[in-house]
Amino acid sequence: MKLIELIDAYKIYNEGFENEVRALNGVSLTIEKGEFVSIVGQSGSGKSTLMNILGCLDVPTYGEYFLNGQDVSVMTDAELSKIRSRDVGFIFQGFNLISTLTAYENVELALIYQGVRASQRHDRVMEALERVGLADRAKNRPSQLSGGQQQRVAIARALVTNPSVIMADEPTGALDSKTGQQILDLLKSLNDEGATVILITHNMDLACASHRIIRLSDGKIVEDYRLRGVTA
Amino acid sequence: MAGKSIAANKVRSFLTMLGIIIGVAAVIILVSLVQGQNKQWKEYYESLGTNRVNVSAYMWNGKDITEDLYEYCLRLDDLVLGVTPNGYYYGNIRYQSKSTDGNREYGTPSIALGSDLYSVCNNYELAMGRDISYLDVQNYNQVVVLGAKLKEYLFDYKNPIGEQISIGGHKFTVIGVYAAKGGTINPYIDYTAVVPYTMNRMLNKNNTFGDFTIKAKSSEATTEVITRVTGFLTGLIDPNYGYFYVYSDNSWMEREDEANRMMSLVLGGIAGISLLVGGIGIMNIMLVTVRERTREIGIRKAIGGSRRSILIQFLIEASVICGTGGILGILLGVLGTLVAGKLIFQLVLYPDVALSLGAVAFSVVLGIAFGMYPAVKASALQPVEALRAE
Repeated sequence: MKLIELIDAYKIYNEGFENEVRALNGVSLTIEKGEFVSIVGQSGSGKSTLMNILGCLDVPTYGEYFLNGQDVSVMTDAELSKIRSRDVGFIFQGFNLISTLTAYENVELALIYQGVRASQRHDRVMEALERVGLADRAKNRPSQLSGGQQQRVAIARALVTNPSVIMADEPTGALDSKTGQQILDLLKSLNDEGATVILITHNMDLACASHRIIRLSDGKIVEDYRLRGVTA
Repeated sequence: MAGKSIAANKVRSFLTMLGIIIGVAAVIILVSLVQGQNKQWKEYYESLGTNRVNVSAYMWNGKDITEDLYEYCLRLDDLVLGVTPNGYYYGNIRYQSKSTDGNREYGTPSIALGSDLYSVCNNYELAMGRDISYLDVQNYNQVVVLGAKLKEYLFDYKNPIGEQISIGGHKFTVIGVYAAKGGTINPYIDYTAVVPYTMNRMLNKNNTFGDFTIKAKSSEATTEVITRVTGFLTGLIDPNYGYFYVYSDNSWMEREDEANRMMSLVLGGIAGISLLVGGIGIMNIMLVTVRERTREIGIRKAIGGSRRSILIQFLIEASVICGTGGILGILLGVLGTLVAGKLIFQLVLYPDVALSLGAVAFSVVLGIAFGMYPAVKASALQPVEALRAE
């Protein structure tokens, strides 16, 4: 079943001016439910732009984007918020936790924005924190957690809403290799449990942990291959 | 959620509140003090009495015009409430072992030599006993009406009516006491006594008066009285043997009013400036946090927060901070006004309600506007751009 379908997408900054930048220059892409896909490329290749569009943080200048069969490229800001809340879970390189909230509250925030009732939130937040092995740090602020722990809180926040797709943008970039491996293992096991995971990285070793690698260069897909057989 | 954010940013929240608290309190205190001072001056003028016409007349031939002026003025009874000569006697007053020479606070008082209408002309009201009468004046009665402070000094809480006191060695019977009217701004106005003006001969060895006060019925009557009395005195006083001058108190009181208005403007301006400074402080602290908040808003949007829910959160947050600051500012302002009023004026001042609310409204609106500013700006950005803010 098609989860993501991007058709001939362009993202152009300063269009028509001298300093025009084509971050995406005609990208078409299909991702099935349950895949574990890596998007790789040099910095400036457009992979972050692609992730932002796939994650509904941004819309393409031209082209169509269907997520779960809905045309995202024509959605309003409010509709995009709803899609992000329901269908997408983000994991960033810089963790992007809110520093004034505890681990618990950071995870809970995703449910609050989804409109989940207070009575149901507690169990789901604790379940997610347990899934990443941080149930005992629920009351800690981000500054009281290590980088790896912060990233695990971010993963808990991404998965607590049961999103259609988890977007991970260089999730190990700010971590040492051992902690990075733990995070990668966590993403793999989430995928094994059925989650669709899209990993954006410039690190080929990481990318090799996924099932499919898409290489971008100058805003275009230059390679798209599967590492091993995947039931799609 | 907003409460958590406020609690989590204690320093920022407190600094914002502080700006509002100080701005509001400063305005309330300063303006209340100005109003208190104006009120006090006004009361003082009113205690002196308004619509008074002063007459100065100097005769080289020793002729006294007191009787003539008194009778002329009483004939103008549709314009004039009272008339009295203004004479004074300075000398020791004794009652039993108490003597005014021994009063370290106020010293020896000046005793007024007045007509039966002295209290009308000078706005005294009788607190006990009776006032000086026309017959007391005519019959050279040795009677005295005491001012409140002098009575207090000589008699404490004892009833002085009918008691004998000594003024300059002469015995006088106390027939009445005037109510206090000077407050704290001029206690000497109550540290006095009045005797019939005909006692001038005995106390000052003098028969003539040069100064008179006429109390007119209204400010319009004041002008008319000046004209009439000037006409009367022109006929009475031969310019070869004396001269006279008739003028009204109202004119210099108006000048004082003007000065007070200026003072209100100046202090009101200072208060306005402190509110402005407080407001700038609010703006500053709110704007300084723009970047931090921009990123936070980016995160909130990325995980599914809609623009509306984020704006509502920030609105509640700013309202709670500014509202609390406003309330604390009022409390501090009222407290400060009471304390300053007590210390400076020795009276209980109450802040102006409309003004206090105005100051609060101003800072709260300012605080909310600038508290919302980063939210409005950042929530309009694409989440990607907001997230890029460091």
